[in-house]
Amino acid sequence: MALLYGLLWRLLLLLVHVNTALVSWLRVRLRSWKGRLWERAVAALLLPVALAGFPDQHKKLNHNPDATANPVTGNRDDGRRARWLSDGKALEKLPVHVGLLVAEEEPSYSDVANLVVWCMAVGISYVSVYDNHGIFRKNNSRLLEEILRQQNLLGVDGSKYSIEFLSNGSDKHNVVSCRPTVKVLSPEDGKQSIVQAAQQICRSVENKERSSKDISVSMLDVLLRESKNIPDPDLVLKFGPVNSTLGFLPWHIRLTEFIERWYCPTSLWFR
Amino acid sequence: MSWIKEGDLNLLEKISANVLKAGPMPKHVAFIMDGNRRFARKKNMERQEGHMQGFNKLAETLRWCKHLNIPEVTVYAFSIENFKRTKEEVDGLMELAKQKFERLLEERDNLEKHGVCIRVLGDLNMLPLDLQELIAKAVVTTRAHNKCFLNVCFAYTSRYEITNAVREMAWGVEQGLIKASDVSESLLSECLYSNNSPNPDLLIRTSGEVRLSDFLLWQTSHSCLVFQSVLWPEYSFWNLCEAILQYQLNHKSIQKARELHQEHQALQQLEADRACVAEHLQHHGNGKPADAQRRQEALLHYTACREDRVQDFLEALKHKRNSFFSDLCSKPVLA
Repeated sequence: MALLYGLLWRLLLLLVHVNTALVSWLRVRLRSWKGRLWERAVAALLLPVALAGFPDQHKKLNHNPDATANPVTGNRDDGRRARWLSDGKALEKLPVHVGLLVAEEEPSYSDVANLVVWCMAVGISYVSVYDNHGIFRKNNSRLLEEILRQQNLLGVDGSKYSIEFLSNGSDKHNVVSCRPTVKVLSPEDGKQSIVQAAQQICRSVENKERSSKDISVSMLDVLLRESKNIPDPDLVLKFGPVNSTLGFLPWHIRLTEFIERWYCPTSLWFR
Repeated sequence: MSWIKEGDLNLLEKISANVLKAGPMPKHVAFIMDGNRRFARKKNMERQEGHMQGFNKLAETLRWCKHLNIPEVTVYAFSIENFKRTKEEVDGLMELAKQKFERLLEERDNLEKHGVCIRVLGDLNMLPLDLQELIAKAVVTTRAHNKCFLNVCFAYTSRYEITNAVREMAWGVEQGLIKASDVSESLLSECLYSNNSPNPDLLIRTSGEVRLSDFLLWQTSHSCLVFQSVLWPEYSFWNLCEAILQYQLNHKSIQKARELHQEHQALQQLEADRACVAEHLQHHGNGKPADAQRRQEALLHYTACREDRVQDFLEALKHKRNSFFSDLCSKPVLA
């Protein structure tokens, strides 16, 4: 009997994988279709494995009918930039900090760089990139190169949108800076940072500079932001098949909204 | 209505449960039971009724978990942020909680039969005293049970919990039980309200919101997160199965990530110990650099001492927490 259930379980998993692959494949095909009605019909037929609304958003940015199409490239780039900015302004609320959580075994530098540049272009001022192996932190120069390359490709003028690239070390300056910021994060910025702050507090208690009764949430919060002033992410976009935060900034994600590429409430799909 | 719902699964549910159990099953599931108020609006009932239905759904979910062999469940019943709601609603929720805990004490024989251990996690001193006393009685009465565990987060937020853990460690330093250098990720975990439980394998949030809302932020860093759009009072056995299926699909990769993190943690602890030993040898050495063997011996000795210190501290902390509940129990219950 146990054997039968085991087989049924494997069959169930196989069906889910096939369904996911099918939906992915169809999405690529459906991108060229303008009919939302068709997409809804297909989605309704398949199992409720919805995909994130975000790809719809950057589909809009990518495939906008070029109203200002002009043989002169410069004007077209300006037009595209202006459109991106107006797309951003058309949204009721723009997140201040968007986190890109890359839960893939072999992340694509060009895809991530693309996203970073799009976020900046729409008007998001702080973008962080995270993976739980610390790959981006180890190769941050490669990521920076890729971001600069994408900026050029997409016609976004580097000098106008100069990005502040922060990898290691402290960023003690004010978060409210005019320049968009890209920060590379790794697991050390999560629990490790909280532990370091805790150690600092305990050392001051050991030195009789402070009592345990003085310790409050705001004290810990201020201490955490002293060395690494990372604003709380408003939105996190998760890439890769893993449904977990994988250690991403536990203290900061108190009210963060998570958009997953693979599984997400069907209501978001229909938005 | 009762905390424990008796009754078996129907045939289809039984078969589905057996199929799921052929794969890896979560040992600890956490629920953010969101959607009671929206449900009440949808059905044109009072908010309070929505919360009542929410509680009934909790009892039913516990029954399903029992049949699925999930021994531990944690639920987010009341956040510290919820104190900001209208006085009417907050008082209503406190009253509901009092009724439920009184009912729980009436059912203590049934709880013993099923071996249910109830724990309440949060900054309980924020609650009215009579509710605190009821909670303490429920916790003390079921403390020895060990078949299944229900953790109710009441007057809880994760940031308060982490801050409290830091405060406890600082208290340990004040008492001379531990040193500041003993503070580590694993020690902080042991000082959280949830220290008696393993980290949740699966976190489910209903009603379509895709936030964690300050719930178990530390403990769920490597858990499977499932966001479902169904409202909590409308949660079904099939919704639970869907969530467990997601857990099973993510199981291997999350396991890998967890192991990577644990390796990293162990390495960090070793480096921290080495640094302390190096400092110690420098101060107490006779000027000559210590040889590798002496360093290794010193390291082993230091690690053993640190572990003993930490054990004593954790014992003292456990005693402090147990006393908090026992003291509340010994107070006469207000009529």
